[in-house]
Amino acid sequence: MASLSQLVDSVVVTTFDIDQPEVSVGRRADNDIRIDEISVSGHHAVIESVPNAYLEGTVDYYITDQSSTNGTFVNDLRISGRQRLNSQDLVRIGWNEFRFVDEDENAMEKTAYILD
Amino acid sequence: MEYMVSGRTDTGTLRKSNQDAIDWCVDERSGQALLVVADGMGGYEGGEEASRIAVDTVMEMLAPALTEGMPPEFRRERVQSALDLASERIEVRKVQAPDLARMGTTIVLAWVSGNSALLAHIGDSRCYQLQQDTLHCMTRDDTVVQSMVEDGSIREQDAPNVPFRNVLTRALGAADATATFGEVSLASGDQLLLCSDGLMEALAEEEWHTRLLQAESVQSGVNALIEGSLEKGAKDNVSVVLLSTV
Repeated sequence: MASLSQLVDSVVVTTFDIDQPEVSVGRRADNDIRIDEISVSGHHAVIESVPNAYLEGTVDYYITDQSSTNGTFVNDLRISGRQRLNSQDLVRIGWNEFRFVDEDENAMEKTAYILD
Repeated sequence: MEYMVSGRTDTGTLRKSNQDAIDWCVDERSGQALLVVADGMGGYEGGEEASRIAVDTVMEMLAPALTEGMPPEFRRERVQSALDLASERIEVRKVQAPDLARMGTTIVLAWVSGNSALLAHIGDSRCYQLQQDTLHCMTRDDTVVQSMVEDGSIREQDAPNVPFRNVLTRALGAADATATFGEVSLASGDQLLLCSDGLMEALAEEEWHTRLLQAESVQSGVNALIEGSLEKGAKDNVSVVLLSTV
């Protein structure tokens, strides 16, 4: 499973599990991950978990900005469309920093192999 | 049209073994050439053996066809039977030696005849055509990442960051050895480049062209690409087979 850990001065303060197909992030109370901070829009971003169509047993995570005022950033680059997240990516929601961690990704082989 | 062909494979700066295999032959009488690159996988012994079986089988089956003067319409079939035989031989070795159970290989080959080339590939080894100022990739990678780029899941520039970027959807040694075929028209002065993914990973495509344009011969063109990859610290094995037309 994957998670999003909020960082304050590079220290993890809260960890949110990405445990459903769509996890919403924003300032309003109806979000799955609620961040009550002024730079965060009401409905700021969505993180989707999607089974990979070509690689059985692998789940891909995608983040999409919901036209937020202050933007969603992945590794300091403001995203426009839907973007795939890699484990250890730094995600910024407005001025709030998070570390995205996908435990399963680290178990993947790094060398080439065949999909049989 | 006359052809000049050269090739080289290098272990790279990090790997202990070279799992790539290359070969080529030119039949001047019939004006044909055959070029092949394979990139093995599945443990270093298995990878070395699989790519060697693939290249040797292709040369054994297809080199005689160059001298025989086989009509173009039968070439695809001949290439596919060579690949089927290579696949069977890999399968036999897997059964004989359980250590090699995960072995497999990519393959890309070009059968050049007159002013055209028949291309066949399985996996992510590529064929490029170089014309005056342009470099075109003529093959489509059989990889999970390529499928994701095509269905819009990821952007092309994000592909190098995906952790399973090396996972192949097709390979020799997997259940299905059906190749993807293509045709290329060649004009005088064009070059055809076959390479393993070690070249793409080490050296940016923009640099290939400059290096090849500065090369005085096909041999020095090949060396320029391999040396360039090594200068960039090539982590994977790097292989290049280059054909120049006159």
